[in-house]
Amino acid sequence: MIHFDNVTKVYANQNRPALDHVSVDVDKGEFVFLVGPSGSGKSTFLRLVLKEERPNSGAIHVAGKDLARLSNFKVPHLRRRIGCVFQDFRLLPNKNVYENVAFALEVIGKPRRFIRKVVPEVVELVGLEGKAHRMPDELSGGEQQRVAMARAFVNRPMILLADEPTGNIDPATSIGIMKVLDRINRTGTTVVMATHDAAIVDSMRKRVVELEDGKIVRDQSRGVYGQAY
Amino acid sequence: MRANFIFSEVWIGLRRNLTMTIAVIVTVAIGMALLGIGLMVNSQISGMKDYWADKVEVSVFLCKKNDPFPKCKGSGGVNEEEQTALRALIEGMPQVEQVEFEDAAKAYENFKVQYASNTVLLSAIQVDDMPESFRVKLKDPETYGAVIEQLEGAAGVSNVVNQKKLLENFFGLMEKIRGFALVIAGFLVIAATLLIGNTVRLSAYNRRRETGIMRLVGASNLYIQLPFVMEGVIAGLIGGVLAAVLLIVTKVFLFDGVQGYLGNSQLTWETVASVISLTMVFGVLICVLASFVTLRRYLRV
Ligand SMILES: Nc1ncnc2c1ncn2[C@@H]1O[C@H](COP(=O)(O)OP(=O)(O)OP(=O)(O)O)[C@@H](O)[C@H]1O
Ligand SMILES: [Mg+2]
Repeated sequence: MIHFDNVTKVYANQNRPALDHVSVDVDKGEFVFLVGPSGSGKSTFLRLVLKEERPNSGAIHVAGKDLARLSNFKVPHLRRRIGCVFQDFRLLPNKNVYENVAFALEVIGKPRRFIRKVVPEVVELVGLEGKAHRMPDELSGGEQQRVAMARAFVNRPMILLADEPTGNIDPATSIGIMKVLDRINRTGTTVVMATHDAAIVDSMRKRVVELEDGKIVRDQSRGVYGQAY
Repeated sequence: MRANFIFSEVWIGLRRNLTMTIAVIVTVAIGMALLGIGLMVNSQISGMKDYWADKVEVSVFLCKKNDPFPKCKGSGGVNEEEQTALRALIEGMPQVEQVEFEDAAKAYENFKVQYASNTVLLSAIQVDDMPESFRVKLKDPETYGAVIEQLEGAAGVSNVVNQKKLLENFFGLMEKIRGFALVIAGFLVIAATLLIGNTVRLSAYNRRRETGIMRLVGASNLYIQLPFVMEGVIAGLIGGVLAAVLLIVTKVFLFDGVQGYLGNSQLTWETVASVISLTMVFGVLICVLASFVTLRRYLRV
């Protein structure tokens, strides 16, 4: 599903590579934790999958497509098959829960009937039934992240990328977030989650890929966060 | 494509940047109106040139009794022989196509028509005050030089008036007005482009959250950019409509007002309509181009 072959990424005006000859394979339906210290290249990895950044060398395949040969014109179609969740939720403050989720479908031109049908289903899936008409500032951080997950998942992506989704949320609430991610993963969606949260990684017992200075230093199925921390 | 989604976005964008939008509309309106006036003057000039092309003549005025012109001093006005000799001279010139004699009575008729509204002048002038003249039409109006030179020296001639020269002065003035209008229009087009660029940049900044999410969920470039471009198009269209109103007012009050002095070359409504549609298309095109160019810089896709 995601295939990195010897990928190196050096940002402009930087001499140290953010990713250094990284090769990794993520299969369909897998759940992968991306761990490592700050600046190790986790977010860079996710941005490369989205083709928000281009690698300096190496090849990236996502959902069978060679990103180097994917024209700019087709990038939006790639992104429709990938959902994204971030630490800072990125909700639209002037739209309520329902509208925030529906926005993702409106802007890719889905018909209104379809939107009216699927949005409530997804809002329920993330556990926000009854709160569809709340505005983002009337929700807790955990609830806002659920909205973001609903928006990321509403178009049934093949891949869900989560960049520190529990970074702004207390441990107890994080467990609920992880349950939703697990539920999404069980529908067959591949999930890649970058995190610093050792407790979560240890409790989930999923595959762990550890980066350090842009290099993969560990790739372990059913792994833990790591001894060093 | 969900039209109502685009339109609500456009409406929000226009309202959020109201002052900038108004500035764009006013600049486009004045710029396009001046461009249109330039084009209208242009069509007026060529219409008048066509109208006058086969009508310009050289008027050879003859001495009257007690004529104040220095060349006529002492002579008791033109006599029979001089008049026949003059006609023979004119008809003998290779450049001349046709020559007509206008006597005092006919000149007075023409004068009365031309100054019909000026009763004071009309009551002061008598038939006898009007000079007689030969009206000379040239094969090629450009060749007046030699003709005039010869005729000015001839006996019995008080003075020679070349209509072409008078018209050329007038056309020169019209062409200056046209040039002025077009130059100012050019400056305003530049101003409009910069203003639109600024508006789009503000708009892109105001909506960076939305556009960021749109990019993330895979909205196509068209979908992301269309609201911005539509903002430009709508501002351009409103500016164009205002310009059209200005142009119609200009035609009715300015062009039709001076029509009497310009000869029979009406600025038709068809011309005005085509000028208006041209300026509209041009105005909207400027807005679209300016929006696109700015978007490419400020809205990474
Ligand atoms: N847009 C950018 N321009 C230049 N350098 C960048 C850019 N983004 C990231 N970097 C650099 O690339 C390296 C990796 O950054 P990245 O954001 O991938 O780390 P990370 O593992 O996500 O860190 P964190 O855990 O703090 O989010 C860092 O050294 C960072 O300074
Ligand atoms: Mg990061």
